[in-house]
Amino acid sequence: MMQANWNYMVIGLCVLLAIFLLWQEVSRANKKWLWYRIIAVLIASAMLACIALPISYQKFDAANPPEEFVLLTQGFNADTLKSNANQKVFAIDGAVKKAFPKAILLSSLDELCDTLQAHSLHIYGNGLSPFKLAQLDSAAVIFHPSEPPSGVSHISWKEKLKAGQELQVQGRYRNPSAQKVKLLLKGLNTILDTVTIKPNAQADFDLTTLPKTTGKVVYTLQSVLDADTITLGSIPVQTDAIKPLKVLMLSASPGFEVRFLKNWLSQNGYAVAVRSAISKYKYNSEFINIPQFSLDRLTPPTLSKFDIVMGDLSTFNTLSAADASSLKQEVENKGLGVIVQADSTGKTSWLQKDFPLDKLSGKEVVSSLIIDGKKSASAQLNIGNTFIRYQNGTQPLVTGPQNRILAGGSIAGSGKLVVTTLGNTYTSALSGNQQDYSALWSALISKAARRDTSIQNTFSVQGLPVVGEPVQLQVASGKTSAVSINGETVAIEQNPAIPFEWNVNYHPARSGWQSLVQNGKTEWWYAFDKTDWDGVQNTAKIAATDKYALENQPGHIVTKQIHQKLRIEVPKIYFYILLLAACTFLWVDRKLF
Amino acid sequence: MAEQALYKINALRHRWITYQVLADAALSAAIALLAAGLFLLLGWIVWFAFPVFWASFGLMLALHRPWRVRNSKIAGFLDKEYPELQESTGLLLLPAGELNVLQLLARSKAESVLYNLEVEHKPFAKRLWRSVLLLALSALFFMAVKILYHSQHHKWTRGIGIAEQKFPMEKILPQIDGIELTITPPAYTRKTKREQDRFNLSAEEGATVAWQIKTNVAIKNAFLLFNDKERISLKNTGDGTRWQAAKAITQPGFYQVSIDGKLSELYQVQVIKDAPPVIHVKTPKPSTYIDAGEAPQVNIITSLTDDYGIADALIIATVAKGRGEGVKFKEYKLNFSTAFAGQPKYDVQKLISLPALNMEPGDELYFYVDAKDTHQQQSRTDVFTVALQDTAELLSMDGVLSGANLKPEFFRSERQIIIDAEKLLKDKDSISVEKFNARSNDLGIDQKLLRLRYGKFLGEEDETGEGPKSSDGVADPADFSNAAKILKEYTDDHDKAEDAQFFEPAIKAQLKATLTEMWKAELQLRLYKPQAALPFAYKALRLLKDLQQKSRSYVAKTAYNPTPIKLDKRLTGELDKVIQPINKQEIKPGADQFEGLKKAVEVLEQLKIRPVLSVADNRVLQVANQQLSVRASAQPGIYLTALSAMRRILSVQKVNITDIGIVERAIQKTLAAPKLMPSTDGQSADMGLSRSYYKNLKQAKP
Repeated sequence: MMQANWNYMVIGLCVLLAIFLLWQEVSRANKKWLWYRIIAVLIASAMLACIALPISYQKFDAANPPEEFVLLTQGFNADTLKSNANQKVFAIDGAVKKAFPKAILLSSLDELCDTLQAHSLHIYGNGLSPFKLAQLDSAAVIFHPSEPPSGVSHISWKEKLKAGQELQVQGRYRNPSAQKVKLLLKGLNTILDTVTIKPNAQADFDLTTLPKTTGKVVYTLQSVLDADTITLGSIPVQTDAIKPLKVLMLSASPGFEVRFLKNWLSQNGYAVAVRSAISKYKYNSEFINIPQFSLDRLTPPTLSKFDIVMGDLSTFNTLSAADASSLKQEVENKGLGVIVQADSTGKTSWLQKDFPLDKLSGKEVVSSLIIDGKKSASAQLNIGNTFIRYQNGTQPLVTGPQNRILAGGSIAGSGKLVVTTLGNTYTSALSGNQQDYSALWSALISKAARRDTSIQNTFSVQGLPVVGEPVQLQVASGKTSAVSINGETVAIEQNPAIPFEWNVNYHPARSGWQSLVQNGKTEWWYAFDKTDWDGVQNTAKIAATDKYALENQPGHIVTKQIHQKLRIEVPKIYFYILLLAACTFLWVDRKLF
Repeated sequence: MAEQALYKINALRHRWITYQVLADAALSAAIALLAAGLFLLLGWIVWFAFPVFWASFGLMLALHRPWRVRNSKIAGFLDKEYPELQESTGLLLLPAGELNVLQLLARSKAESVLYNLEVEHKPFAKRLWRSVLLLALSALFFMAVKILYHSQHHKWTRGIGIAEQKFPMEKILPQIDGIELTITPPAYTRKTKREQDRFNLSAEEGATVAWQIKTNVAIKNAFLLFNDKERISLKNTGDGTRWQAAKAITQPGFYQVSIDGKLSELYQVQVIKDAPPVIHVKTPKPSTYIDAGEAPQVNIITSLTDDYGIADALIIATVAKGRGEGVKFKEYKLNFSTAFAGQPKYDVQKLISLPALNMEPGDELYFYVDAKDTHQQQSRTDVFTVALQDTAELLSMDGVLSGANLKPEFFRSERQIIIDAEKLLKDKDSISVEKFNARSNDLGIDQKLLRLRYGKFLGEEDETGEGPKSSDGVADPADFSNAAKILKEYTDDHDKAEDAQFFEPAIKAQLKATLTEMWKAELQLRLYKPQAALPFAYKALRLLKDLQQKSRSYVAKTAYNPTPIKLDKRLTGELDKVIQPINKQEIKPGADQFEGLKKAVEVLEQLKIRPVLSVADNRVLQVANQQLSVRASAQPGIYLTALSAMRRILSVQKVNITDIGIVERAIQKTLAAPKLMPSTDGQSADMGLSRSYYKNLKQAKP
């Protein structure tokens, strides 16, 4: 009531004022610009009224946007964040809070879960690690991932090597800059290999080096951009010394091939026993680095002393029935390895059943070999004209020209069988190509040798173990025994499905090598720094959060937008300005005329 | 007329511009040369003078702008230089219509004068001459700088050695006030002694090094410790502040200075080894064959170089005479004609006359050059061979008599030509020139006939049938309409393929080569030069003999025929007396010489994370330290920094990460790559799961 009265009073007064002023203007002697003055007077009084009156307009608007919960994680872009009045922004990382001060810093995700209730959570940035996602307790999540991180996004290498094996580091690098990036593999403060990544490209890289030492060494991968060297991450590698094997060689007659192989193996500390026939059931026996025993009969206890048995096919074929069956038993049930030098005796034996031989007519071929997909350095070897025809279930190990298989392997029960047609590899050793000779026989013997059953500790680490974050280790152990990491005993949890697998959770407190002791044997694993491989870590986080968001999509409740009329007051400043303008005009007019 | 005058003025203007630009260029060149001299003095790159030249040239052109000169200015110049123009050249440039009568008169007069005027170059070139003079002066300056400074500079680098500049900064003990190191190179190097004020030294092998150390306080004792073993005490020469010692340097390594029990850091000792002399034989080739008739002599041209000086050089020659079992050797030592005075480079030559060494046809000469440097180091070349053709064997009839296919008389003919030619040469002094020429020509004819006869083997044209033909070749009525006969008479048939015998291509090629040699011999004979014809004739004979040898055939020996084996008796022998030999041995693999270094790497890797050294780790590093020390004494330049870093790691409580890096890099350099050996993977602890899996897989497989 009061409001309405006020309005009428103001309008009335202003009308009176306008009439008075108009009369004043009209009655003025100077008639110049009369119309302008009248307009100015009218405007001035109207504006005066407007200032006094509460003028407003009405508008339909989406009222009260629904509450939105936003969690910012590292790598978020403030521009992508849609601002909303009812938005609640959280962060669980101090650095994020610094970058976006409006965010509310939480100590843990549990607090967020309580506030969320039925609402879904928007996650911006690189997302969360699987461990933190588990804390969200299956709350619905909408993920807004940031751009894929630049730098190394994937990396892989073999962490445990044998002496003499190459370290191969493979990965993917995204280079968004307009310059070339050089990647360096460094170890022992020496640059061991480099690769260049083209500008504006994502490229796979492959760096190799041959570790010269044994034991634990941390290599690093560095990137050089504009003479600016950045360490991307550490590459921890353990190189183990080779444990010599025990080899039994059977030969129908003394020969160069056996002699060279025997010498090569025994000089490197391998245990070698050689049985070569000199007449019917008469053998010449040699024992190097192994205690002496009778080799006349190949009994199971004799065979169990060796990791591998080598010989030509005719020797195996002339074995007595008892010897042959014990050999077969030992191979199929106990995992003994056999290397057979195939020949064209034509007899079908279980040893050569999977490896049918083909013979090419024509000259014998001299060529270099391709061992395990790698071309041997130099040696030109007479590889004859016999080769193995491929059959399903076998694996070609050594090939010659036109992919002719010269050595192949297959499994025979729990043992391995390797058949080769090469019978004069000693010529490459004789001509000084010891490197190629070693490569060839290392490949064949390593393939066939009996698995080393003395090492009982095997364990694997899930994901990239980063300091300060929980790491899950899977320890495989035949018997239950306490596991201690860095000197403290940790609780182990048996896998319900696989009885010999045990899960261990551990929080590495500092980066670097971590010991794991079980059954009195120490194994080592490496915990990375928080900054190590951050591209890889971020890629993993994005993937994990993506997966989580897919699994926990918000429920399809149609939230009806509530529309509401809104009264919006017109700001007074416009009226003031107009009033002032009109008054100024009138004042100036009076001064001029 | 007016146009011509104007044209002349224009031409003069162009001349003026040309001279100005040239003058600017010369002046800029002078400035650039001065700058180049300055750069040389400062040790900068001399080629920086080029930008200076272009900059000053551009600047001068921009300032002078010679192309902007007007014709009026030229006219003024002419007026000033040539009074006969009477100051009216300027009128020529004005249009005739604007001139009054007096002006026109003056103008026409100036025109005619200008037309006949020979304008000299001298006034135009005045500025250019001045610039060129300046250029010459600055060139002189540059030359002077180049000769004086550069030679001095050169002497300096040679005196101290470039190797020395690689030495790192050295830290000296606080007590040491000054060091004076005198290196006296051994006499063979012919170098004077030099001094330096640093501990790191590089000296010639065998040089004597004297240390004079001045301390700021009186000290009790001091010594030098070489390679951690050898100790050389310093002698006190004055109230405990002056100490000295001397040592002959024969091997590289490192040393430390110890003052009152306190050891300094490691200093390098590098040894410059004397290289043996380098001999390069330019002629003859490694094997030379002198054909009969060629001059029997060898010219040996050799260049000898050494880093300090050549003391002596010899040719060791061996003559092999005879053949088969009767071969005899005789050795000669021949001196080069040059006297060797210890200069670092000699170009020497020696002409050896083979008859002077009693060499006859068929003999061979083997020689090598042996040189000795001032340090008595010897080096020698490979053996060179020179063979004289054996004419005796070539002329013998041995093979010919038993030859198979080719007709012997042909060979005798070539032989005969050689014998006749030699006889003719012997008779040369006793017969008249005409007769000599006639006999030579006759021999030429014989040679031609012989060549034609051999040409027939190749199906070449038969020249003997040439000459006037009787016209009645077809006159016989029996030959009426005998086309073949008529064709034969009236056509000229050249090389007939069917006449050629069926030789192997190689034999044909050799026959052709023989014919070529015969051609050349014939040419020389016809020119009355039997001496010059002889080498070709010998060569032809040798080729023919080879051909004859090739046509021989051989029968291989028959193989051994064994008696047949009685199969029923095979493998029935009694074997119970045959013992089974057993051989047993233990072969330990060679100890890894890098084991200590490999272990040290692991310790260092641990130190990077936790820089605290345990007792056990310390022991491992001590072993590595010894190995590095051995290497450093052999190659101080490479390993000395690593060794000092290692010592810092061992001595300091808190380990520096850069030291670890230095040591690791040296170890990585030292270690050899491991060999690839067979190995096996570990079986995972799976309670026999995989084994039973494979067993069942086997059973499932048919």
